[in-house]
Amino acid sequence: MIDPRLHEALDGERDPAELPADLRESYARLHAAAQLLEAVAPLSVATRVMAEIREIALEARADGPALRLGRWLSRPRAVTVRLRPVWTLALAAGLAAILLLPSGPGGAPTPGDREGVARFVGHFPGARSVEVVGSFNDWSRGALHLQDDDHDGIWHGDAILPAGQHEYMFIVDGERWVADPLAGRYVDDGFGAGQENSLLIVRPAAAAAQP
Amino acid sequence: MVTDSAPSDVEVVARVLGGDGEAFGILIRRYEPGLLRFATRMLGNPDAAADAVAESLVRAYRHLAQCRDPVRLRSWLYRITGNRCRSHLARRHTNDISLSEVPAPALADGSDTWAVLERSEQVALVERALAALPEEKREAFVLKHVEGMSYDEMAVVTGARIPTLKMRVHRAREALLAALEAFV
Repeated sequence: MIDPRLHEALDGERDPAELPADLRESYARLHAAAQLLEAVAPLSVATRVMAEIREIALEARADGPALRLGRWLSRPRAVTVRLRPVWTLALAAGLAAILLLPSGPGGAPTPGDREGVARFVGHFPGARSVEVVGSFNDWSRGALHLQDDDHDGIWHGDAILPAGQHEYMFIVDGERWVADPLAGRYVDDGFGAGQENSLLIVRPAAAAAQP
Repeated sequence: MVTDSAPSDVEVVARVLGGDGEAFGILIRRYEPGLLRFATRMLGNPDAAADAVAESLVRAYRHLAQCRDPVRLRSWLYRITGNRCRSHLARRHTNDISLSEVPAPALADGSDTWAVLERSEQVALVERALAALPEEKREAFVLKHVEGMSYDEMAVVTGARIPTLKMRVHRAREALLAALEAFV
């Protein structure tokens, strides 16, 4: 245990000149140690990183079907969602929910054998915009906007997604990232700070339609 | 370091997300030295550090759209790199870094052999003391005193609470001081 005044000085909360001589010596020793640790072997990874990035860009351009899917997903689509009273009540309580449908509503594109319809619903009263970003659209902003045509704070929208597991988040007013409180499943965002993305599992429409 | 004439991180991120992948080089040049220093101090091996930083930067590029606050891009990059360092350490099945892996950087002016030797010994001593710290305390000390971060930024990087980080830094200081005094 060292004198708290030394910690205060090292945290910039106390002038080190005010420390007693023995603490000033410890302060200088730790300060010098930190300075020694600042020197490392001169390295650069810029060339290899940029080479890999260029390869990624080339692969993305060559990925025809994926690109087409991405373009399809990025087209804004407005789908009317008829909320049952029980859902209206639940959402009015400040909840957001996501439902999975086995097939698209009338007029909407029909999902393929390995696709399903994801319905995104969130209660964000006063919001100016709500969009969904996720692993299914490479976390691209502006690709899937939710609608609140009657201005009741309930934002909704559908998307046909490949069957499987997808991570997603709501972005409210273009800047606030919000996990879906009713997603039920969450997964660490993988960047090590304990933040979680909402998790969505899409069943193939054909499988979901079976009794 | 961002100068007045240099584009901000937010501007560069927007360019990259808009399709200008080459602009990512600006971010690499801006943050590579600090990230390599951080990873070297965490892993104790410059080659492993270079791998960790390269993997982290590629990961950052792939997931740039997930950077929720480009204003805090530096913290985000350190977070990814710290996470990658932890993965490297976990693969070694130990939190300790091998002393034999610790490099002994030379002085810029190598003409004074005695000065080089003395400095190398000092560096080795400090690195040995740092290497003996548990991973979390080592990370906290390096972020605070080598990278010069505030506790607020450290919290963003590590995901730990500020009181927890302060405690880790305090314990690291105590352990380092005890180790350094033992060799005086």
